[in-house]
Amino acid sequence: MKHEYEKGTSGDVGVGIGVHADVDTGVGPVAEIRDLRVVVDGRAIVDGVSLRVLPGRVTALIGASGSGKTTTGLALLGEYPADALVTGDVRVEAGGLVGYVPQHPAAALNPARRVSALLTDIARARVRHLPVRQRRAAARERVLRALAEAQLPDAETLSRRYPHQLSGGQQQRVVLAQALLLGARVIVADEPTTGQDALTKGRIVERFRAVAARGIAVVLLSHDLDVVSALADEVVVLRAGRVVESGPAQRVRSSPRHEWTRELFGGQVESPDPDESASRPGASARGPLGTRTESPDPDPDEPTGQPGPRIHRLPHARTEVPDPDEPTGRPGVRARGPLNRHTESRDPDGRTARTGQPVLRVRGLTARHRDGARGTAVVLRAPALDLYPGRSLAVVGRSGSGKTTLARCVAGLHRDHDGEILLDGTPLPRSLRDRSRTQLAAVQYVFQDAHAAFDEHRPVVHQVARTAVRLRGTDPDTATREALTTLAGLGLPEELAHRHPGRLSGGELQRAALARALLARPRVLVCDEITSGLDTVTRRGILDVLTTLVRGRDDLSLVLITHDLDTAALAHRIAVLDAGELVEQGPAEVVLTTPAHPFTASLVRTTTRLTAGTVT
Amino acid sequence: MRSPRTGRFALGLTIVAVPLVLALLGPVFAGEPGARAASFTLGEGHWLGTDFVGRDVWRQVLHGGRPVVLTALAATALAYLVALPVGLLSALTRLRWLEELLMRPLDVLLAVPSLLLILLAATVFSPGAVGLALLVALANVPDAARLVRAAAAEAAARPAVEALRMQGETWWRMAVGYVGRSMLRTLAADAGTRLTGVLYLVATAAFLGVGVAPDAADWAVMVDRNRTGLFVQPWAVVVPAMLIVALTTGTNLLFDAALDKGGRRGPRRTEKEARP
Repeated sequence: MKHEYEKGTSGDVGVGIGVHADVDTGVGPVAEIRDLRVVVDGRAIVDGVSLRVLPGRVTALIGASGSGKTTTGLALLGEYPADALVTGDVRVEAGGLVGYVPQHPAAALNPARRVSALLTDIARARVRHLPVRQRRAAARERVLRALAEAQLPDAETLSRRYPHQLSGGQQQRVVLAQALLLGARVIVADEPTTGQDALTKGRIVERFRAVAARGIAVVLLSHDLDVVSALADEVVVLRAGRVVESGPAQRVRSSPRHEWTRELFGGQVESPDPDESASRPGASARGPLGTRTESPDPDPDEPTGQPGPRIHRLPHARTEVPDPDEPTGRPGVRARGPLNRHTESRDPDGRTARTGQPVLRVRGLTARHRDGARGTAVVLRAPALDLYPGRSLAVVGRSGSGKTTLARCVAGLHRDHDGEILLDGTPLPRSLRDRSRTQLAAVQYVFQDAHAAFDEHRPVVHQVARTAVRLRGTDPDTATREALTTLAGLGLPEELAHRHPGRLSGGELQRAALARALLARPRVLVCDEITSGLDTVTRRGILDVLTTLVRGRDDLSLVLITHDLDTAALAHRIAVLDAGELVEQGPAEVVLTTPAHPFTASLVRTTTRLTAGTVT
Repeated sequence: MRSPRTGRFALGLTIVAVPLVLALLGPVFAGEPGARAASFTLGEGHWLGTDFVGRDVWRQVLHGGRPVVLTALAATALAYLVALPVGLLSALTRLRWLEELLMRPLDVLLAVPSLLLILLAATVFSPGAVGLALLVALANVPDAARLVRAAAAEAAARPAVEALRMQGETWWRMAVGYVGRSMLRTLAADAGTRLTGVLYLVATAAFLGVGVAPDAADWAVMVDRNRTGLFVQPWAVVVPAMLIVALTTGTNLLFDAALDKGGRRGPRRTEKEARP
């Protein structure tokens, strides 16, 4: 294995950032990987990958998790898994330092030191050539410049904080600033948008675009195809450690040559451009569930100036609880999601939710978090929310908007709240510990991080089966059989079910978590961001499972907590949270097409733009 | 892959076996006491020489392990017997007053140096071996309980515990089945060092004459009484001292080997295809 840093041929190397104003063809690659093969325990994680990283260009490595993206990206830094057998060639231009922005930036920042100290450490090394007296000022100036380049406003205040006092996005920018300070010529960004809402994603895209515009090569490792489409110049598609396809982003996206690429891009490929779809107002439902490869993006229609039938929101409809079936009754309005179409078809049977009582009511909920040593901070206010049997409600908002708190209040995991949560008109005890078995079984919760929500020491199927044993009094054998059936129904074969959680992938475990909750035969199932952090193909699988659940069961109501409008579009109703306030709620198609609140509008707009790849 | 771990296991076992076997079976093979010889001599049928009052050192070694080892093991076990329930209960309860009630008195105890505690008690009670074990255990309960609580609190805050609550699991299954099991590594690591500390404390107490007679056959007492002749007859000090060292080192090696399951650990999930 050679890891070469070629001797510099050009003088400007290492001078810093911002020297490459114009990016042209004919510039040699800053880094190059040739025929990289990484073998761990006899298995090739990366197999014959070649890659050229050009200055000022964004090269995206895409693929499902486990496809070798991160291993390839880290190879640019000269990092390999322990005990790996590495063959091939990794060249980085002389002095061309490589910066790395990890998926969890908090892990890369020393929690015991302030941001300014973290940055000054790097800056100090860069000002060695100056006389001692000038170094301090020069270092400070460099730090501030790097922070500005990383688009961290209010650098003075932020640099006095500790990493844990910053948001995830700010931490990411600090790591980026570190890389910029170092004078990195290549920046490897590992899943920079995972778990972020559309607005934040848009900002991250802009940030990396600005970095690339400075002549720095960006290597983007991502499974978020929206972001890849919006940002990448070159795309390399990886599968099981091999490059299945590579080329200019536009070409790969519009005419993928490999079947896997097509599957990966699934939704985006056939997506009509906004104009076309805008010319089809009132287009009927988008196609059957089975072929949900079509278009997960929310309606690309512009929210204003739309010809054709529209729903005119009543001013009061936001705070009071509108009829859940409002849109289906209106003439000229078609449901846009498959779920809604199903609802429509269910109407004649008289099984609509309109006649039933809400299974779950939230009244005057005010949730608090303990804030520091004394005092509490109100993090959520939800005056009224209703959930009808057999229907689903998506709670949408940015991170920190209080949507998880809402879910946790409902599930009894967050005790510190006022107001009432009524199940069939009976108030539920605030804490899980005070709820009866029936109440526990009635409201089940699926956690965001499936790996953390399972006991790593016991086989999955045993843990799943315990629900039936504890909450329904089934005997262990029957429970195990039931668990296996449910797991198989959700796409987890028996062989996998007997494994320990550590040996299942995120998607597989999330299915197991769903099975665990479903075995209680719940009336309300709360799903907290269960698709975030999964790659496109896996996420689509989970979403299909969810859709089947809502469609197949009249007695089950879903609460989907999500920042992702694609997921939210599955639901019948959407409630939008912003900074702890319930700003809007209504039927999904109304909220998505004619958002009444400015925040919802901006959320919808950003997602549409991201999907269309036209973030400016 | 497995050989390094087995090797460490074997090494730890060998090292710990010597003092343990000597301590447990020694008295059986010791035989009748012979006539006393001159102090601090070598040879003349005494292959490890004689001690400060002319007794055979080897015979003293055979007899002297049991009190030290048994007292130390009993004290460690006793300390955990109290610390585990107290720590688990205070970590898993949401009643603050219960947590305060359980932990505050222990904090007071924590402030008293353990040796001082033992010496104070010794002046009042003049305890025997059992009394010494109890005292040493008492001195170890506060920080063991704090450690258990900290380890348990970390495990109890995981979503897995909330998931278990959601399933309506019993307290026992949550506390012992999950939380207890999750903190096993921490506890085992602590037990290794704690046993060493306890051995040290028991030996020190014996060295100071607490819980044992001044001329008792006891490894710790032997080190103390014979150190005057260290340069004349080193074996009377070196052998018991080495046995105590072997006991602590071996225990720690054994715990390390037991904890190091399956060699390397780490995020290996990247290798797997995450296909639904």
